[in-house]
Amino acid sequence: MEYVLVNAYSIFPIIQKGVCSMSLLKVEELSKLYDGETRVLKNVSFEANAGEFLSVIGPSGAGKSTLLRCINRMVEISGGKVKFDGIDVGAMKKKELRKLRTNIGMIFQHYNLVPRLTVIENVLHGRFGYKSTLQGVLGRFTEEEKERAFFLLQKLGISEHAYKRCDQLSGGQQQRVGICRALIQEPKLILCDEPIASLDPNSSKVIMDYLKTISTELGITCIVNLHQVEVAKEYADRIIGLKEGEIVFDGPSKVLYRDQIEHIYGIESRELITV
Amino acid sequence: MEMVKDINPTLIKRKGNGQINIKSGNKVDTVVKWTIWVLTALTILAFFFFDYTGLQIQRAISETLYNLRVMFFEPALTHFSWGEAFYQVGITLGLGVLATIFGAIIALFLSLLAAENLSKPWISKMIRVFVAFIRAVPTVLWVLIFAIAAGLGSEAAVLGMLFHSIAYLVKAFSEAIEEVNPGIIEALRSTGSSWWHIVVHGILPSTFTYFLSWTFLRFEINFSVAVAMGAAAGAGGIGFELFMASGFYFDLREVGLITYAILIIAIILEVISTRLKNRYFPSSVKA
Ligand SMILES: Nc1ncnc2c1ncn2[C@@H]1O[C@H](COP(=O)(O)OP(=O)(O)O)[C@@H](O)[C@H]1O
Ligand SMILES: [Mg+2]
Repeated sequence: MEYVLVNAYSIFPIIQKGVCSMSLLKVEELSKLYDGETRVLKNVSFEANAGEFLSVIGPSGAGKSTLLRCINRMVEISGGKVKFDGIDVGAMKKKELRKLRTNIGMIFQHYNLVPRLTVIENVLHGRFGYKSTLQGVLGRFTEEEKERAFFLLQKLGISEHAYKRCDQLSGGQQQRVGICRALIQEPKLILCDEPIASLDPNSSKVIMDYLKTISTELGITCIVNLHQVEVAKEYADRIIGLKEGEIVFDGPSKVLYRDQIEHIYGIESRELITV
Repeated sequence: MEMVKDINPTLIKRKGNGQINIKSGNKVDTVVKWTIWVLTALTILAFFFFDYTGLQIQRAISETLYNLRVMFFEPALTHFSWGEAFYQVGITLGLGVLATIFGAIIALFLSLLAAENLSKPWISKMIRVFVAFIRAVPTVLWVLIFAIAAGLGSEAAVLGMLFHSIAYLVKAFSEAIEEVNPGIIEALRSTGSSWWHIVVHGILPSTFTYFLSWTFLRFEINFSVAVAMGAAAGAGGIGFELFMASGFYFDLREVGLITYAILIIAIILEVISTRLKNRYFPSSVKA
């Protein structure tokens, strides 16, 4: 697995390995109300460094997806601040927001590819953030971009499917297309919303290994929502435990012990969790 | 079977005889039921109030049968040639095609604004209400309304058909757009794509075949409307010839032949659209 992305520095010249200790994302007292009454997130604060692999765990309904979507402002922020590279995300205008989103890749539980388009077309969708309306509508991509798309597909081992329609691929393969679409954005941060929740154990391992490689070798920060505690403990540098919209744990994966897990998931689910 | 004892009895709706209801028993059901009963009663009653003076049932039946026989078993052309007939059918098809194609193009843009997942709620609502109003008025009426400005003829017919087609297709298209997996839109939005990027590369690839099928379905409707408009609005075409043959020349043979011609075209269109439907429509829309 280690050799998978060794060549990647040549295609991501901006990303240097040495920047790991810098704070990339700063979330301050973030709160979110959907309909003006129920508080889905309450005073959430944390920081993420460049190249860090961070996992957010918590029972369903805890607000994990909402937290991710506040970071790239797919949902509006109700209170507090999100700072990306020192810039306040909440105050961004439409144009700045598009630019922000080119810097933040996103990976989804259901892959969210356009099923009738080919793999390569779906990967190139990751470049729209850099395009003018007309360029994008006409689907004008440079040869360089297309080559990079093939390069990424090859790195993720699916280049032979490049001209297949996405609905002909298995779940694990579709998720790898999703990762390519995120990587071609040349992001500094990748948000993953339950990336392995619809996959079998083998594909799950492959996907998690790729994500880990992306953070360690490309220095891209990964924030991964997971509901499997074991997976989080195995892969993440740091774990954030979310419960009813509040952070109840924030620390290195090594120090997440059984009683804290029980606290995050509630005592009743003790039997469900195997650590 | 084991009975569940502690179900809240107020949750279960029962009929008059104590049996448990499985329909929700809402107002709509009741209203529909009563409407059907009242209409049935009125229809039966109506037969007692017709004016039957001078009607000889036997003669009426035999002569009707005779007319039908002449019409459908001895079809012939007397007032114009076969070439002319094809030309007139072509005109009618042309009216239908014009109204459908322009309608589809305009409807495509409007449906982007009418679909709730692509538009602002108030814009979407406004277009929906507007379009529902247009659809509620029959096509013929729109043709007559446009005839005030354009004069009776093919222009008014095309405009009226166009108007109604737009309304019909906006509803169909926007519903197809709303069926698109919201995840696709979310994923594109998260890459920094603009609205037009999402429409062209996310929505259109997922809905294009539906749009084609709906447009063809509408063409089928527009063809029959164009036949009627030929007569009612003087738009020309085969409908007008039918009107002349029956209303002016009383030429039953010609009426028969024209009817056959229209029937053949209608069947061809029906076959094509059924194939399109089976191929591209989700099972929920196949009717
Ligand atoms: N678009 C929305 N509108 C209203 N409520 C929402 C919306 N999305 C999520 N919620 C609510 O916010 C809470 C947190 O949801 P979510 O962030 O999806 O949690 P998780 O991803 O941890 O399962 C849930 O109670 C959910 O019902
Ligand atoms: Mg979620």
